[in-house]
Amino acid sequence: MGLFAPTRQETVEDQRLYLDGRLREIACLDCLAKVKVKKNSEHHTAVQWTDVALGHCQEFARLSGQPGGRPVYETCSRLMASIDRAVAEGELEVGAQDGY
Amino acid sequence: MSTATTEARALDPGVAPARYARGWHCLGLADTFRDGKPHRINAFERKLVVWAGADDKLNVLDGYCRHMGGDLTQGEIKGDNIACPFHDWRWGGDGKCKEIPYARRVPMRARTQRFETAERNGQLFIWHDPEGSAADLDILPPELPDVLTDAYTDWSWHTKEINGSHCRELIDNVADMAHFYYVHFAFPTDFRNVFEGHTATQYMSSKGRPDMGQGGYGDENSTLKSVATYFGPAYMINWLEVDYKGFVTEVILINCHLPTSPSSFTLQYGISVKKPEGLDEKTVQYIAERYTESFGTGFLQDVAIWENKAPVQNPLLCEEDGPVYQLRRWYEQFYVDQAEIKPEMVDRFEFEVDTTKANEYWHAEVAENLRRRADEDAATSVEA
Repeated sequence: MGLFAPTRQETVEDQRLYLDGRLREIACLDCLAKVKVKKNSEHHTAVQWTDVALGHCQEFARLSGQPGGRPVYETCSRLMASIDRAVAEGELEVGAQDGY
Repeated sequence: MSTATTEARALDPGVAPARYARGWHCLGLADTFRDGKPHRINAFERKLVVWAGADDKLNVLDGYCRHMGGDLTQGEIKGDNIACPFHDWRWGGDGKCKEIPYARRVPMRARTQRFETAERNGQLFIWHDPEGSAADLDILPPELPDVLTDAYTDWSWHTKEINGSHCRELIDNVADMAHFYYVHFAFPTDFRNVFEGHTATQYMSSKGRPDMGQGGYGDENSTLKSVATYFGPAYMINWLEVDYKGFVTEVILINCHLPTSPSSFTLQYGISVKKPEGLDEKTVQYIAERYTESFGTGFLQDVAIWENKAPVQNPLLCEEDGPVYQLRRWYEQFYVDQAEIKPEMVDRFEFEVDTTKANEYWHAEVAENLRRRADEDAATSVEA
């Protein structure tokens, strides 16, 4: 057992809130990638990718083809545009709850 | 906003894992081990012996001889082997006993624990895995082009023992935006994290606070662009671009550690500065020393917090905080068997912190501090 184990049941609920709370699935408007997104404010964005979504992302595929591979800091501009669109259309709520 | 009254919140100290992380761990500058003597390194609650054989290859074994437990770190290098001070058993870098000078033959079972080694950027690394897997050379930290050439200053390398903290405290900093203001006296203006695979990265821009008059992050004349990536659990490369009054310097800061017990670790940091063009060697060395000092001060600021804080498995966050839960989930991949790594531990995660509100507040606070100080200075000069 290698985990950092909580000693309180409430911690498990905290982990769920901070890791998964308010995450909403957003589909890229350009490719088949689906990611989970949370926005606490206009500027704040959290994006949870999956392996499958990464595989679909054309932008990342293009970046992977360049010498030295895909720089980890690069984000997908098409996905970011899709998130902005989801906010504009009211699909993605902006604003945190109690710190999560 | 919740208005519900809630009970007082308890800190969950959690239980630290019994094992130590899987991955590459840096032991220090490789050449410091090439002085013809065996070296002792404490790591993973044990003693290790490090030596360079006549072939110049660096070797790392468990520090105790499997014969009668002699301390190999007090032994002698003989040829390519390390000889035990107790009965002169000679151990090779492959972990096998090569020779027992007084014996007809070496027992076939005479094999001790070895750690696979690698050298990168002038530093010595060992692979640690409680499961005993072969070293994964693909995830060694990247080579830094031009470091160790004349274009950069030599590594300035420092070691500090930290007691009373699990090394995860050090990792938590990757996601900690606000501590840069309070602990390091800088305004973090942009802050972003990306966790993916075995890497965790922090992108930050910051400007020093004018009310603290400190070096490093906190110098009001400095703005910083920083990219800091953990390659595995224990080794970070921090690429820094420091703009000091319009004079830009590129600095590479290594931040790595060796866990020594569940509540202690050895912090090591090294600095190499890209030599600015058109400056003489003496000035370049002076600049490098100042940066070494100031980033060293930065680490000491963190240490003061770590040594006094409580471990907390259930941090309470506000919406301006960075993704500490996600960072810890990433970090757990190194503490479970390779077969137990869950996709979410390694899946890409991006997090952009909104620093707007924080900086509004901080700038007002700093302005107030400066105003108060000016008033005090004026009062003092009147008295005088």
